[in-house]
Amino acid sequence: MSQKPKEPGDRREFFVKLGIGAGLVALGGQGLASLRSLVPNVSYDSPTTVKLGYPQEFPEGMKFLPDQRLYVFREGKVLHAISAVCTHLGCTVRAEALSQVEVRTVEGSPLRLTHRFLCPCHGSKYTGDGENVAGPAPRPLAWYHLSIATDDGQLVVDLARPVERSFRLTLA
Amino acid sequence: MALSPESEKPQAPGVHPRPLWSLDPASDRQAGDAIVSNFVFHWFPAKALKDSLAWRYSLWLGTVSAALLLLLTLSGLPLLFLYVPSVERAYGSVKDIEYVITFGYWIRSVHRFGAHFMVAAVFLHLVRVFLTGAYKNGPGRGQHREWNWLMGIGMLLLTLFLSFTGYLLPWDQLAYWAVTVGTNIASAVPLVGPQIRELLLGGRNIEQATLIRFYVLHVIVLPGGLGVLFAYHMWRIRKDGGLASADQAASLPAKVEVPPGRTKTYTLLGIARGTGPTIRASSIEAADTTVSSIPDLTRRIAIVLLGTIAAISILAVFVHSPLEEAANALVTPNPAKAPWYFLWLQEIVTDTTIKLGSFTVNGAFIGGVILPGLLVGLLAVWPWLDRSPTAAAGRWFPQSRRRQNAVFLLLVLAVLLLTFVGTFCRGPYWQLYWPWQAWVELPTRI
Repeated sequence: MSQKPKEPGDRREFFVKLGIGAGLVALGGQGLASLRSLVPNVSYDSPTTVKLGYPQEFPEGMKFLPDQRLYVFREGKVLHAISAVCTHLGCTVRAEALSQVEVRTVEGSPLRLTHRFLCPCHGSKYTGDGENVAGPAPRPLAWYHLSIATDDGQLVVDLARPVERSFRLTLA
Repeated sequence: MALSPESEKPQAPGVHPRPLWSLDPASDRQAGDAIVSNFVFHWFPAKALKDSLAWRYSLWLGTVSAALLLLLTLSGLPLLFLYVPSVERAYGSVKDIEYVITFGYWIRSVHRFGAHFMVAAVFLHLVRVFLTGAYKNGPGRGQHREWNWLMGIGMLLLTLFLSFTGYLLPWDQLAYWAVTVGTNIASAVPLVGPQIRELLLGGRNIEQATLIRFYVLHVIVLPGGLGVLFAYHMWRIRKDGGLASADQAASLPAKVEVPPGRTKTYTLLGIARGTGPTIRASSIEAADTTVSSIPDLTRRIAIVLLGTIAAISILAVFVHSPLEEAANALVTPNPAKAPWYFLWLQEIVTDTTIKLGSFTVNGAFIGGVILPGLLVGLLAVWPWLDRSPTAAAGRWFPQSRRRQNAVFLLLVLAVLLLTFVGTFCRGPYWQLYWPWQAWVELPTRI
C-alpha cells in the first residue's frame, strides 16, 4: 500500500507549524521589545512649572524669557503671559513693537496691545493678544497661567496650563 | 613570447596564466570567464545588450547615484571617527573637522556635496524612468519591473531621510530648527502623531536622546536599508532582462525551437547531462545586438564612477561647507530655511492651512503629511494604473505616453518652482521678495 498512515504525517505537520509559529512569535517579540525600549519611561525634560523671578523685577511692558519661550507682559500690577511657540510648527515667534499702542477688548477684558508676533519659519503673524491673523498658523498663541509662589513670592508660570485670554494676574 | 588566445588552455574556468587577465581579456572566451569567476564582475552578465549601454537612453543616472552612494560611504568613514554624537561636543567636533583637522574640510565637503548630488541624481533617475516608461514590462517572461520601481521610490525616500538626519548632526542652528519643524510635521499625523514625535525625539524636547537617535539612523539603520534595497535593485535589473530599452533587441530575431534529443548541453557553468531542454533562443547571444561586458560595460561603469568621484572631489576642494552658529534653543534664525531639496515642502506647509468657518486644518498636516503622502502613493501605484502599450516602454517621449508624461512633468515643474520660490524669493519672516530685492534690515536680537 502506497498510502502512508495518517498520524505521523499530521504530527510532523503540527510540529513544523509549531516551529514556524514559535519562530515568528520570538522574532515579533524581539522586535516589539526593541521598539518598546525606545519609548522613554522617565522624562528628563525640564519641569513645566517654573519660577520666573520676583514680579518687581519685570519691567513695565514686555519681557521675553527665552528659556521658557514666553512673553510676560506687565501693566502696573497686572500681568499676563503669552507663549512664543508658533502653533504651526513650533518655531519661536519674534515680537515686533507697534508704532501705535492699541487698546482692544479681548474676551471681555480690555488689553493694551504693544507688540505683534511674527514667525521666522513660515511667516505666521499674530496680533499682540496672540490671535493668528495671517500665515499658516492654525490657532492663536497659548496664554499660560501665572501665579505667585507661596514660599518666596516669585512669579510662577505653569506651561502645562493654558488659560483663556481674559486671564490676568493682579499683584496685591 | 605571448600566448595566442587559441593556444591558451585554462586548467579550469577562471584559471589563467597571466595576472590581471580578467581586466584585459585576450578573447571572448576569457571575457566570459572573467565575468563568471571574478568577485566584482560576477554581478554583470557575460554579454551586455548594446541598447542597455546607450548613453543617451539612461543617461547613466542610476550608476551616478550608486557612485555617489559609494563615495558617501567612503567619505563617511573618516567622519565617523572624528565626529562625537553628543549635544555638548557635536558642534565642536564638526568645527574641528572643518578648521583643525588636516583635510577635514575637504572630506566633509565631499560628503556634503555627495549628499546634495545624490538627492539630485536619484530624483533625476526617477524622472528618467518615468518619462521612458521603464517601469513597464516588455515581452520577456518573468519581468517585474514594477517591483524595481517601488524599491526605487523607497530608495529616494531613504536618500531624503539620510540627508535630513545628516544635516542635523552638526547640531548648529540649521540642525536644531530643522528637527523642530520636521518632528512637528510628524506630530501632525492624526491620532499617533505626538507618539511618533516622542519616539523620534526620545522625549518631549530636543536633547541628547534626539541626537543619538538621528545619529544611529544616519550611520547604521538608513544606510543598511539603502544597501539592501540597492543590491535587490541591481539583481532585479538582471532578472528583468536588462534595461527596458533593450527589450526590443532581446526579442528581435524569431525565436527558434530547437528540437530536444541531445544528450548533453553546454551551459554557462558546465555540462548538463540527460535529455537536452528545449531552448528558446534569443538575441542575448547574437553578435549584432550584444557586446562582451568586459570591456564595453566595465569601461563605461569605470568612466561614470571615476568621473562622478573626480567631479565631487575637485568641487569640494574649492567650495567649503557652511556651519551655522551652534544650536540655540532660544533663538529661531530669521528666516529659518531648510536645505534646497526640502524647500518645496516648506513652501507647501506654509500655504496649505485651510480655514472653514471656525474649523482650521493645520498646513503641517495637509502640506506635510497628506500632500507628500499622496504624491508618494500615486508614484507607487502608477505602474498598475498606467495603460500605455508595452511597446512604449524604454523609449523617450513615446506618443502613447504623451498625456501622462505631460502631467508628470507638470508635477515635477511645480516642485521645482516651489523649490525656486523657497530658495530665492523668501526673506525674513518668510516674506516674499524678488531674488534681486534686498531684505529689510532686522535687529538680530530681540
